[in-house]
Amino acid sequence: MISVKTFSILILFLLLTFCLAGNVLASNNDVTNSTVVQEMVASEEGEVEHELPSPYMVLPFIILLAMIATGPLFYHHFWERNYPKIALFLGAITVVYYIVFLHDTHSLRHTAAEYLSFIALLSSLFVASGGILIKVDRKATPMLNSIILLFGAVIANVIGTTGASMLLIRPFIKLNKDRIKPFHIIFFIFAVSNVGGALTPIGDPPLFLGFLKGVEFFWVVQHVWYIWLPTILAIIAVFYFIDLKNGNNNNSEVTYSNKIEFSGMKNVVYLLIIVISVFIDPAVISWVPSLDPLPFGIREIIMFSVVYFSYKSADKEILKANEFDFEPIKEVAYLFIGIFATMIPALQLIAHMAQAKGDILTPGIFYWSTGVLSAFLDNAPTYLNFLSAALGKFNLEMTTTGVLELQNLHPIYLSAISVGAVFFGAMTYIGNGPNFMVKSISERSGIKMPSFFGYLIKYSLPILIPIFIIVWLLFYYLQG
Amino acid sequence: MKTIKEVLDKKLTGLYFGNRVLIPFHCHILKLNIENDLITDFSPCCKGVHISENPDFMEIYFHDYKDLASVQTEFELIKMIVVEKGKDVFNKKNHLKIALHTETKHKLRIEKLREDQIFIE
Repeated sequence: MISVKTFSILILFLLLTFCLAGNVLASNNDVTNSTVVQEMVASEEGEVEHELPSPYMVLPFIILLAMIATGPLFYHHFWERNYPKIALFLGAITVVYYIVFLHDTHSLRHTAAEYLSFIALLSSLFVASGGILIKVDRKATPMLNSIILLFGAVIANVIGTTGASMLLIRPFIKLNKDRIKPFHIIFFIFAVSNVGGALTPIGDPPLFLGFLKGVEFFWVVQHVWYIWLPTILAIIAVFYFIDLKNGNNNNSEVTYSNKIEFSGMKNVVYLLIIVISVFIDPAVISWVPSLDPLPFGIREIIMFSVVYFSYKSADKEILKANEFDFEPIKEVAYLFIGIFATMIPALQLIAHMAQAKGDILTPGIFYWSTGVLSAFLDNAPTYLNFLSAALGKFNLEMTTTGVLELQNLHPIYLSAISVGAVFFGAMTYIGNGPNFMVKSISERSGIKMPSFFGYLIKYSLPILIPIFIIVWLLFYYLQG
Repeated sequence: MKTIKEVLDKKLTGLYFGNRVLIPFHCHILKLNIENDLITDFSPCCKGVHISENPDFMEIYFHDYKDLASVQTEFELIKMIVVEKGKDVFNKKNHLKIALHTETKHKLRIEKLREDQIFIE
């Protein structure tokens, strides 16, 4: 029998061999076939030509995403100990390939800047919301639960799905402590951790990546609200009827003060600072200085400062009550170093392929492809891959100008990608970062959550897919 | 042999060494949570946790963890729902929610779970 560790080392070794062999093959092809093997990358100095990566270089990305999907489920103790090394190793393969074989440092620098912006937002929202405690001393009813889900879905657009999930999941569990069932948590994941955050770039990581690429901040709310509203109401309506059937197991001996206590006000101020700092970007406000060539700006400095100060000044009793732990954000930080690095070849190749096969790509295909992949991979890199494909379809480049042209001239494509990435992130535990955090908090609170396939078969497929089919028919099939 | 109440009132501590925890009372463990593991199967065939009783203390071995101190962070806890040995396990009033926290020098803090720390039975 081969142990999991030996097996993983073998896979990594094979991968390295494949990548190197792939490069040799690609180089040979380049010699014999001089058709389009170069891509234009825009930079500050003008356009820079770079060779396209070998298709084999997508392997580190595929392996990393496959391990993210299977690791926590099938070999979680090995995964917990080794995911930083695996992510860094796979990321390093791509980095070395780009430097040594493609001599392309521009793509790497650009990706580093995006990663820092992404992790600055996520970590600041995570830490600031961890210092806030909400206590709801009321009788749990299906109506009150539905209101909380709707409230969570709305505020997810202001403090992110991560922030809203962290803020509300504990009060939601505590409120329902005498009647809680796994479906309560699953609908929370559907509404607050995913679908809710479809209206602003702060809402969900894929949309923030889109914002970093050039999508205007208010474009999403203007083009998605009429899809968001019926979807979120449909999900909450289904929840309401299931919760109604769940009955009232409340302990009749308990008396409720009907009070809602809120502590950690200074962290609310930190949350506001984060939201404001999103706009502190030279591309948004002209007088904001650029720190180029550094791969970060004033916005990232503010966000990382919030991480430090909000944690240092947080009430220890609140952190204790929230069982605050840096592990979830540490996991996201490490994994996304690997994801951001390994997805560079995938992004460039998809854009190139989409240019060639652009005619067959309809908004519906973008909606379902982005959606299905977002369900099983992380939705943030999936969004970028399909944004890249949509740009490729219209011969546009992954630059601010290209993205602006796509949002203004072909909005239905950008809407399909945005909705697909955010909504379908709810399909599995691995679809979106907060899903696993909510599952983890629920299990630590004593709730036995369904397995990966239990979640998919019992909840996502029968509840979400019919809703998503209606969304497709109404907004993409009939209008595409 | 000390009772759970005595241990909690006097704030007595337990011990831990690597993946092994020693608690100074005897109890039936109904449910246990460590990290993301929610454990309810304490039968000898189950590999995750092994419980051993000694005349004056109980030992819990966490087979999936090498060192508890390395997996526990400042605000993290091991949570358990327990019933004092000899008391009626079927009477819910006897069910106690307690938390274990690893400290320095192998010291294990034992405390009653606070109202705002949720652990649903």
